[in-house]
Amino acid sequence: MNETTETLNLAEVREKLAGKSGRAYWRSLEEVAETPEFQAWVDDEFPNRSSLMQLDRRSLLKYMGASMMLAGLGGCRSLVLPNAKLVPYVNRPEELVNGEVLHFATGFALNGVTTGIVVESHFGRPTKIEGNPNHPFSLGSSDSFMQASVLNMYDPDRTKGVAKKGITTGWDGFLTEARGWIKSFEATKGAGFAILMESTGSPSLIAEVEKVRQEMPNAIIATWEPAARDNVYQGAAMAFGKPLETIYDLSDARVILSLDSDFLGSMPGWVKYAKDWAKGRNVDGDPSKMSRLYAAEAAPTLTGAVADHRMPMSMVELENFTRALAVELGIAVDFVVLNEVVTKQVKAIAADLQSKPGQVIVIPGEFVSAEVHALCHAINGKLGAVGKCVRYHSAAVYMAGQQGESLKALMAAINAGEIKFLLALGGNPVFNAPADLKFAEALKKVEHTAHLSMHLDETSKVCDWHLAESHALEAWGDGRGLDGTVTLSQPLIDPLYDTKSAWEVLRAVRPSMNSARDSHELLMEMYQAKGMTEAAWRNALNEGVVPNTATPPVAAVAQSVASKLGKAPVAKADLEILLRPDPTIFDGRFANNGWLQELPKPLTTITWDNTVQISPKLAESMGLASGDEVEVTTADGKVRGAVWIFPGQAERTVTVHFGYGRDMRETLVADGTGFNAYVLQNSNSPFLHSGSITKTGGKLMVASTQMHHYLEGRDIVREETLDEFLHGGHHEKHHHKDISMFPKQEDEFPYEGPQWGMTIDLNVCTGCHACVTACQAENNIPVVGKDQVMKGREMHWIRIDRYYGTKDMGELGGRKPERADLDNPSTHFMPLACMHCEAAPCEPVCPVAATVHSHEGLNQMVYNRCVGTRYCSNNCPYKVRRFNFFNYNDRKFSDFKLLDGEKSSRDLRVRLMVNNPEVTVRGRGVMEKCTYCVQRINQARIHAKNEAAKGRREKPDPKEGEIITACQQACPTGAIVFGNVADKSSQVSRLKAVKRNYSLIEELNTKNRTTYLTKLRNPNKELENA
Amino acid sequence: MSNLIKEKQDELKELLPGQHSYTSLDDQIGSLILDNKRHPKVWYLFVAFGFIGANILLMSIAWLVFQGIGIWGNNQPVGWGFDIINFVWWIGIGHAGTLISAVLLLVRQQWRNSINRFAEAMTIFAVMCAGLYPLLHTGRPWVAYWLFPYPNILAMWPQFRSPLIWDVFAVTTYITISALFWFIGLIPDFATMRDKTKHPIASRIWAALALGWRGSAKHWHRYEQAYLILAGLSTPLVLSVHSIVSLDFAVSIVPGWNVTVFPPYFVAGAVFAGFAMVLTFAIPLRKWYGLHDLITDKHLDWMAKIMLTTGLIVFYGYLSEVFYAWYSGVIWEQALIQNRFFGPYAAAFWALWLCNGIIPQILWFPKARKNVVVLFVVSQFISVGMWLERFVIIPMSLHRDYLPSSWGMYTPTFWDFSFFFGTIGFFIMLMFLFFRFVPVINIFEMKDLLFKKLESKEDGHAAPVPVGGKGGE
Repeated sequence: MNETTETLNLAEVREKLAGKSGRAYWRSLEEVAETPEFQAWVDDEFPNRSSLMQLDRRSLLKYMGASMMLAGLGGCRSLVLPNAKLVPYVNRPEELVNGEVLHFATGFALNGVTTGIVVESHFGRPTKIEGNPNHPFSLGSSDSFMQASVLNMYDPDRTKGVAKKGITTGWDGFLTEARGWIKSFEATKGAGFAILMESTGSPSLIAEVEKVRQEMPNAIIATWEPAARDNVYQGAAMAFGKPLETIYDLSDARVILSLDSDFLGSMPGWVKYAKDWAKGRNVDGDPSKMSRLYAAEAAPTLTGAVADHRMPMSMVELENFTRALAVELGIAVDFVVLNEVVTKQVKAIAADLQSKPGQVIVIPGEFVSAEVHALCHAINGKLGAVGKCVRYHSAAVYMAGQQGESLKALMAAINAGEIKFLLALGGNPVFNAPADLKFAEALKKVEHTAHLSMHLDETSKVCDWHLAESHALEAWGDGRGLDGTVTLSQPLIDPLYDTKSAWEVLRAVRPSMNSARDSHELLMEMYQAKGMTEAAWRNALNEGVVPNTATPPVAAVAQSVASKLGKAPVAKADLEILLRPDPTIFDGRFANNGWLQELPKPLTTITWDNTVQISPKLAESMGLASGDEVEVTTADGKVRGAVWIFPGQAERTVTVHFGYGRDMRETLVADGTGFNAYVLQNSNSPFLHSGSITKTGGKLMVASTQMHHYLEGRDIVREETLDEFLHGGHHEKHHHKDISMFPKQEDEFPYEGPQWGMTIDLNVCTGCHACVTACQAENNIPVVGKDQVMKGREMHWIRIDRYYGTKDMGELGGRKPERADLDNPSTHFMPLACMHCEAAPCEPVCPVAATVHSHEGLNQMVYNRCVGTRYCSNNCPYKVRRFNFFNYNDRKFSDFKLLDGEKSSRDLRVRLMVNNPEVTVRGRGVMEKCTYCVQRINQARIHAKNEAAKGRREKPDPKEGEIITACQQACPTGAIVFGNVADKSSQVSRLKAVKRNYSLIEELNTKNRTTYLTKLRNPNKELENA
Repeated sequence: MSNLIKEKQDELKELLPGQHSYTSLDDQIGSLILDNKRHPKVWYLFVAFGFIGANILLMSIAWLVFQGIGIWGNNQPVGWGFDIINFVWWIGIGHAGTLISAVLLLVRQQWRNSINRFAEAMTIFAVMCAGLYPLLHTGRPWVAYWLFPYPNILAMWPQFRSPLIWDVFAVTTYITISALFWFIGLIPDFATMRDKTKHPIASRIWAALALGWRGSAKHWHRYEQAYLILAGLSTPLVLSVHSIVSLDFAVSIVPGWNVTVFPPYFVAGAVFAGFAMVLTFAIPLRKWYGLHDLITDKHLDWMAKIMLTTGLIVFYGYLSEVFYAWYSGVIWEQALIQNRFFGPYAAAFWALWLCNGIIPQILWFPKARKNVVVLFVVSQFISVGMWLERFVIIPMSLHRDYLPSSWGMYTPTFWDFSFFFGTIGFFIMLMFLFFRFVPVINIFEMKDLLFKKLESKEDGHAAPVPVGGKGGE
């Protein structure tokens, strides 16, 4: 522009200005002059200006025409894209607000015992199950089975309707035929008709069965469930004359003796028991009141793992141990002296039990013999525990203690050819009835058979009729808790397929019934007939429990048991083969549930398989290594499986879990997992057999999530005894000094607002894995399959590390394990998720800033930004990051099995319905990890902001207790506490201030937001020195 | 003074023995391109082998992109396996080329002239192979470009604190400079080929590549300036590239990675590996093509000496890691060394010490340095050893770090091997195509040497050698 100034002819400018009409404005002389240079500059500076101005009429019309044509292409949308419709609600369903979650209380039944649950529903789609705080046996906590049961509903392998010998007919076809058969039994008062059910405590179903009994007194009614607690009830019957339910109150118990019972991990009611036990272990109040737990058991259980003294012994030894203890306490019974060590243990434990009268419990397990149960009732009575720590109620389940007998009676009738129509409501007896009963063979003698189940399972395949069963979240019903508390079950969703519940089928098949009646109405009428008002009904539905329905405690005094017990058992030469339900898939009913299949068995960390668990000594003597194939033989059958050397297993015992080895080739998950242990089972003693194992020479692959089990002298899990804790623990010396070359900076990052942090109390963690399943359900964590677990690619965001330690707690893991330690090691659990380090090593190494820190102290993953270099995971000292090596969410399980055409063609979309819409589903190639349930934090924050905007609270920050992470919510013992660490009055801050608080590998200076509380042990000094 | 001249003469004689004229040099090197008959049967064999390998590489890439990283053996805790081992291995191999081209040029080592061309080619091809890994080892390779600082509407930069970003800059700079350096050095020879060839199409191609080179004084002047500047730029790269690659590890907090000695020790290791690879190709090349006059025993001897030196530096690095693990008293480091000595992969560790620490010591003996068979075998051991070194550093450190619960094992899969084999095939294919279509030895620099040799004979004085070492005819 400057150059043009020189050539500017001012005279010309004046002339131009003079020539302009009207009022003119100009910014520079050049502009007025309108020199070509100026024009060029303007055109250069504003290139768009000229083009529009220069557009001629013809071009303009051309462009307009073309534009309109292109705009019209939008109308062809449906040709190239799916023609989606958005339709708003005309009448919004009551309570449904877009984006808001609804919660409904209902019940979850397992083994006939119902526990209250609260189900989260997104737009009528149940996704997540939590415990019901109102239910006395949940108190807000849950276990893995409850958590995972929602996945069963969305199982793509579920059957979708009624079929006769594989041909779909619909319910009418079946009901017409069945009613005809039942009518034909009228003359004989039901002779020829049999009903086989699972354990149940449901008042409505029991009432219906009782009606059948009245209508058809000659019909046979049997209940069968592999994990039925017959022994428990028979033991009570021995002691009290009737099968009472025994309920323990551990919150006040100071000394607890567990006799092969897993009351902290699998016994019905364990969620509440664990909660109460944790109260007794609390040392932040009065440490001297800390309880002491002894466990005598054959196979290690979670209870044994956290016990102060664990005594491995075979079941015969266990009975003699109990008898010896009874004698020591003054109950005369016969017993065999075992050895000096046990005698000393018995004396010490007896003294300990007697020192705290009324505050002690002896708890026998569900699978120990009825004799031991009877003896324990006598011992508890003698110790003054009854009425305090031990209460008796009437039995929670139908036909308590007679399930095995009822099945045998049914078998006898079938084999005699008396049964014409067998209606099996649930259960899977062809798979899981004891081998000696030969159920499948007997079934051929029955003229008409019908089986109600969710899958076309082993029993359905051999029955004439397969009836599709509703999931518990699809049906109305009710159930009783362990203490009799009634819970109403309400459907969260219309049945996905053409299904009915057992209660509905039992009503529909009988010609006498009006099958058109709605279950909801019937159930309501039934309760109203008992005097419940409609308001009370609504309230019971809302609260999840019917108030005051717990059965009153029965004042029972154990009769003299000595005469019934007989001679003390003597050890046999054979091995004891213990059959137990699987820790994660139970009796096999969860075999097609991916979450539970991939959930590591708490103590062995094995996934996708059952194993033959043997003691290290037995392995040594037989030259076996984990993974070797062996054949297990009992009087009734034999089966082959992989051996797993289980430190802590009693020497001459072998534990085999039943539930695996399903014959369900067409399923996506259950197919090909484990072996069927039911073939070993005898109906006379379903849980204890004598038998042998032989090495076959084969080798099987077992997928375990943890390969290394010792701490290698590293300061990871901290444990000390109560004495050390009270008198200055030995971990004081561990306290890390912050050594840095840099000047100390107090506030390196100006954190604002609430700061999230977590504590995990190792003292009360029982390693139950409820948190793992809860996290999986909440955060849409994919199931990866056995081959991927074997490669070390499981995706769980929270894992529970299990370490074996030596007896010498002073040098935990500091020395190499010795033989003695292998035979009975101490066991340590450590739940581990992202530590949310303030100085997170993962963050600076990410090349694309996909993992970053929030101002509230969260270490965040930005999935969309992640390119997947995996550098963050390499640099994470805690190895909590998980990488999507494949597109796990979209990968069909059949992909792992050579692209089975039939399976891969299955419609798997139903499985996606379980996903939590609040959490991103991660695709292939991105890293993921624990977010501290950021979706829950954000929900609480939105709520808080709304509240603050309405003036209901000062600051728009969530308050203490408004955010509960999924793992915290599930945890039965309250070991996990989450909250705002900036608020010094919060629970998490208070816990971080206690002496036991420590940070994992503190010397790395990563400043973890998750810290741990040291584990404490309360050993009996007399036994400790032994 | 006369001693110096004598030495110079001797050196020139050793570097360019035989009775060569300018024309004979043109012919001997140029005919490799012009005369198909000069290529032995084995050439076809290797190109075919390389071609198969390259196709396996393509298949491996296609399956990888289709399926995901899961087809490899990488897992938790071993996030990096063959991908990064091979990346570092290939990058290391490239280093000899740069060292020979740039550093030896600047320090006026004339013996470089007969090997620099193919060493540089090796660099470029090796970096091409190396570059595939960081790109394709990402979980989502289609967004790997996010590692580059490019303008975008998110106003999102890469995260500059990450060593992987430093890698991106180091490697892209490296390949750019190396390729430019190589190409500029080729221009006068392209012109020679343009003039020699009689094939009309070939001559057009050579002409295009020669960029109008006429050998005028101005051309030579400009050429030398450009070449020298690029040599100056390349020299720091010899140190920087592998130092930065080593920072991928040294910056982390993984025991076995967080080692301050890594940068110099990686550079030494890279030169070590690079020379082993140069020898791997030079020894057969000179035998098959009768290039004993150009790649002489003296060359091999010098290269062997460099290998011996850098090998000792590397071995010193190994020993210092062991020493510091003991001296520091840090339990993680001690556990690491224990795992290397006696852990499940101890065999790899001891094989590494054998290959890189023990076997190269044979090069102390002049006879061994003169024996091509010994040299070739030692070179193979070093190549394997340097691969093992990266195996020891990467998966062996990751598989057992802080928490014993997370310890795991790393087992490479078929696709790990196929990808690695594929890059080797691709590399071999490119090398042999290069032997066939590009002057494998620097013609004009050899002429320059010849000129100096003839000059020094005539008047008894060594001709002044300008930096850059190219006179001009």
